[in-house]
Amino acid sequence: MPNVSDLNNSASGAGTTAIVAFSTVRKIYEPQKTAALSGATFSVERGEFICLVGPSGEGKTTILKLIAGLEAPTSGKITRPAKVAMSFQSAALLPWLSVFENIALGLRTWDIPEKELVETVRRYIAMMELGDIEEKRPPELSGGQAQRVGIARALAVDPDVLLLDEPFSALDAKTTAELHDDIIAIWRKTRKTIIMVSHIIEEAVSLSDRVLLIKKGAVAQEFPINLPYPRREQGEAFLRDVSRIRKEFFR
Amino acid sequence: MRTHHLPPARHIVSSRYASYPHSAAGRAFELFIVPALILAALFLLLRASGIFPQPISMSEVSVPMLAFASGLTVLRLVIAYFLALICAVPLALIATHSPLAQKFLLPLFDILQSLPALAFFPVLVVFFLGLGLMNGATIFILFIAMLWNLVFALIGGIGLIPRDIIYAADVFGVRGFDYLRRVVIPAIIPQGIVGSILALAQGWNIIIVAEVIRTYLPASSPVPNLFGLGSLLVSATAAGQAGLFLAALGAVVLIIAVVNFFVWQKLLKYAQRFRFE
Repeated sequence: MPNVSDLNNSASGAGTTAIVAFSTVRKIYEPQKTAALSGATFSVERGEFICLVGPSGEGKTTILKLIAGLEAPTSGKITRPAKVAMSFQSAALLPWLSVFENIALGLRTWDIPEKELVETVRRYIAMMELGDIEEKRPPELSGGQAQRVGIARALAVDPDVLLLDEPFSALDAKTTAELHDDIIAIWRKTRKTIIMVSHIIEEAVSLSDRVLLIKKGAVAQEFPINLPYPRREQGEAFLRDVSRIRKEFFR
Repeated sequence: MRTHHLPPARHIVSSRYASYPHSAAGRAFELFIVPALILAALFLLLRASGIFPQPISMSEVSVPMLAFASGLTVLRLVIAYFLALICAVPLALIATHSPLAQKFLLPLFDILQSLPALAFFPVLVVFFLGLGLMNGATIFILFIAMLWNLVFALIGGIGLIPRDIIYAADVFGVRGFDYLRRVVIPAIIPQGIVGSILALAQGWNIIIVAEVIRTYLPASSPVPNLFGLGSLLVSATAAGQAGLFLAALGAVVLIIAVVNFFVWQKLLKYAQRFRFE
């Protein structure tokens, strides 16, 4: 039987430092009976930056959806925190709302005074350097700006875990590099637990503490990354880690 | 999520909007020249066809009478439209609420929308007159004719909400009524407007028949036709009053042009902001 535990409310999370834990989780999509996950097992410590890499259609995004509570597992056990936020590949902004209101989307569901809401949104607008576009609507934004808004919206609800679903895949190299720097800066500042999906091994190595290689719906291998930032300047050591993962990726 | 019958509504919206003139000359052309050309063509056609034996004369046309008939007809259309809109929104929401609802309700709606609305009209006339509601049958038949255009347009609109937007709303706790108010209702505005244009067009088609309720009553019945542009067109034709017929038709064309220009164009332009890229 599937079992999903809210870390804040259940005994299953007590006594462990893992903020997210999967134990032989299977996910089969009906009615096609497509097996997206076939027994995924892993855990994520509080404050870690994890990257899920792997070929397309092997279950990376399904893992994020299960952590976010957007899907239920078919079997296995998931421990996850109550406060999870997600940034999407498409940014998933509401086109009729301003940047400010898009960032406030989650906060508007909370019973908080307007002044507090405005202050919170402004704080993340400043953090993501969106001050000059806060009145604009999504169709007026560049891809990089839209992703910044998506990330600001996710951070604004102060999540225990921030999920990033290939947030940079549609961006040009320069914008991607800038956003990488921003994500690292935010992570160092907030120490949020970040779980990101990427299909680019270099990106995963340059950002995360640990890379999980997802193949055939399970964690095929884990790769701790122990390089100092900025990692792309680490030359051979960076390339060695990339090469190590690439070898298993294509195996 | 299925979309029914209609081509993707976002394409309808964008193509309609793109086809609208933006220059002052283009707008004047659409508002004044097109209706005038249509009327001139009809005038020539009527004169050449010999349908009306008497010469076309405008002496039988009373402007206040025409204005009153226009007002009554537009009022019936507007009441029916808003009733249809009020019913269409929940019907579209219920039909798309779950895979099970889609499985059962969409085929049911398909059958219902295929039934010819006018087939019910004779029974409706007798029923509503029994209740003493002269306008009831007409408004109800307009309502039925408009309803399915709106329902299927809105269902199409709900189906166009991107999966990531649905997920984002869920992740950020925008659920239940809040989800309807903040996500679904704005998202279906473009398709709702397209559905409204189609619904009103369908209403104009039906009203010509729907105001002539005497056709469905015994000859001995004292109940007259409902006064309006539809019944005026029919009675003018029966009486051989070509001038009155042309004037009533001119009023129909003018109202449609004015509503298109001042309402639908503005709304379609406004609806652009609710489109997902």
